[in-house]
Amino acid sequence: MPTPRLHWMRGRRDEEGGEARTLEWIGCDDAGAAIARVVRLQGPLHTNWRLYQAVALDTEARVVQLRPPPPAGADWLAYIGGQVVGRAALPLQAVRTAEAALGAG
Amino acid sequence: MSETPLEKIRNIGITAHIDAGKTTTTERILYYTGVSHKIGEVHDGNTTTDYMEQERERGITITSAAVTCEWKDHRINIIDTPGHIDFNIEVNRSLRVLDGAVFIIEGVAGVQPQSETNWRLADRYNVPRLIFINKLDRTGADFYRAFDTLKEKLDIVALPLQLPIGSEDQFVGIIDLVEMKAIIWEGGELGAKYHDAPIPADLAEKAKEYRQTLLDTALSVDDAAMEEYFESGDVAVETLKRCIKAGTISGAFRPVLCGTAFKNKGVQPLLDAVLDYLPSPVDIPGIKIAAEEGEDEHTERRRIKADPNAPFAGLAFKIINDKYGTLTFVRVYAGTLRSGDTVLNTTRDHKERIGRMFQMHADKRAEIKEVSAGDIAAFVGLKDTMTGDTLAAASDPVVLERMAFPVPVIDISVEPRTKESVEKMTIGLQKLAGEDPSLRLRTDQESGQTILSGMGELHLEIIIDRLKREYGVEANIGAPQVAYRETITRPHTELYTHKKQSGGSGQYAEVKVVFEPMERNGGIVFENKVVGGAVPREYIPAVEKGIRVQAETGVLAGFPTVDFKYTLVDGKYHDVDSSALAFEIAAKACFREGMKKASPIILEPIMDVEITTPQDHVGDVVGDINRRRGMIQNQESSSSTIIVRAHVPLKEMFGYISDLRSMTKGRASFTMQFHHYDPVPRNIADEIMAKSA
Repeated sequence: MPTPRLHWMRGRRDEEGGEARTLEWIGCDDAGAAIARVVRLQGPLHTNWRLYQAVALDTEARVVQLRPPPPAGADWLAYIGGQVVGRAALPLQAVRTAEAALGAG
Repeated sequence: MSETPLEKIRNIGITAHIDAGKTTTTERILYYTGVSHKIGEVHDGNTTTDYMEQERERGITITSAAVTCEWKDHRINIIDTPGHIDFNIEVNRSLRVLDGAVFIIEGVAGVQPQSETNWRLADRYNVPRLIFINKLDRTGADFYRAFDTLKEKLDIVALPLQLPIGSEDQFVGIIDLVEMKAIIWEGGELGAKYHDAPIPADLAEKAKEYRQTLLDTALSVDDAAMEEYFESGDVAVETLKRCIKAGTISGAFRPVLCGTAFKNKGVQPLLDAVLDYLPSPVDIPGIKIAAEEGEDEHTERRRIKADPNAPFAGLAFKIINDKYGTLTFVRVYAGTLRSGDTVLNTTRDHKERIGRMFQMHADKRAEIKEVSAGDIAAFVGLKDTMTGDTLAAASDPVVLERMAFPVPVIDISVEPRTKESVEKMTIGLQKLAGEDPSLRLRTDQESGQTILSGMGELHLEIIIDRLKREYGVEANIGAPQVAYRETITRPHTELYTHKKQSGGSGQYAEVKVVFEPMERNGGIVFENKVVGGAVPREYIPAVEKGIRVQAETGVLAGFPTVDFKYTLVDGKYHDVDSSALAFEIAAKACFREGMKKASPIILEPIMDVEITTPQDHVGDVVGDINRRRGMIQNQESSSSTIIVRAHVPLKEMFGYISDLRSMTKGRASFTMQFHHYDPVPRNIADEIMAKSA
């Protein structure tokens, strides 16, 4: 089964510190429906007197804590339908991971 | 000088471990860019940048040399730096003023200790850099193994832009992963002829795999490039180059190239990469102005951007004295300056008139009439400007971020072989110390000896050799001394009467002085509490002076006495026999007697030592510091290294650099500076006193 190629577009961005960073890429099917996301991990992050080693933003931009934190170098998570399907050091690798998981599924 | 647009200027350094091929690579660059018409070789002693006699004799680079060349319509100012740790100051000051660097890594050994040290120095100054894995023609050379050492020892994201075709004596060319083509060097013509070719079939799969890694890594710094990739599954060469340049400047990754400079392969693509990926003066965020006193070092401060029309700002980073006088090398960050202009030395707050200006080409010079932002030039006629000083326009008298100089760690005493050479030696050493901020010169007050402090034995050996060759002074070298001090630990009141009656007018003075210990660095404090004229007012300064003079020679071992207060509380005088001299003599004797009863001790300098060591040697380093009577202050982890901070007596630090090198296979480095004085342990005090007796 060939790996489906999604249409990837920029999602949320972080403008903090004057430097814009893309926090997520959203993979859409031909009909424009978002079916996969690759999300940049952030952390350590202090919120409400708590220290989170690694967090990501869910589809509603809520902070999701990752426990245990992923190993060093796994800065991007690939999600399909809210399920983590893989981790990667770089966004393009995470995109390939998501597309491969979609193809396999 | 700058007719070349700023965006077409590159100010780069070439740096590496000793013998990795820096000077050889620089020679090829000069040949291919048409600056020289033949290639000089280090082993033949005829390279352009190693122009000093000692460099040619020893086959090593001692001083950094600046050369300029043109490549594809760009001007590249190159500084070739030394590899030996003793001349680290040259790397330090070069990296401080350069916009980019090429790190040369040996293809057989991979990352070597001095590469690590220089890499961390480049980290300190945020210098964008390219890595060139050299000597791939050598037996045992292995690009992939050398590449692995980049990640292991430097803890970086190393990104190959090229792969080798063949290895050792079969190394014929490279695969360019950006344009996905092979570049093959033809024999002869000293490597000047090469051609593009299809990627060899046996390397096609490997090239595809590495190209994907290149895309994954490089495009991650640029969202627009990612979108271009999502559209077509690839990106234009220009897009990829833009991403590589952005990642190189931000330090997100470090591009890796390869070749063999000695066999003339890989240098032209390295020059292309310098233009494509290293920043021009306008690509960098500008140099920071110095922090105000008391201001946090990390506070965001104003930056001086490269602009030829802005007020002038430049940094003096190197001084050399030759037969024509003193040359001050300046990196111009902003503005334009012409011969005859006056600028402000904002570090020392005085005006300097610019005499002649030169563009330097190793030891040769071409006179220029003006310099602009982005240039590096040498000025003649600066009278009181030292390395690290800022020169600025009076209209915007900024002080640029200062340079950090390594602390000299080895001292030797020097004395001229003939009495007639004393003055010549002093002048010579002062000039050499003016050129080299890692060389310190002082006179030991106790022995009167001239003490030279340097970075290592080779450093000091070269200085003594230069003293002989350039200033005609032959010198004897002796062993160094620790600068001990003495102080007291409890108060004591001493009454002393000086009475001398030997015919004629006599001498009479009596003083009663309270000696009290003070805090460290409290100095020497005098107080007069005499009431009722027991000691007439005109004799008080003589008492103060007598004790201060006598304090230069302590009562235990003759070292200066410090950190005490003395209060004149009472005394007596005689109308005829008292004099200032009599009171001075009485005060001196009062000090000698009183100090002995105030529990005197000897103090030794304690150094603040910072050792950067790979994790696998931290146990040895800490154990050794403990054996040296050191007190570990803290340990910090920084990527693959540990920084150990400790307070260690200076006496125990002599020869430390050699011990540290052998203990850590040369991978650790250290800096130290004076921190405070502490009492020496009893057994060591006894040794010191026995020596001075």
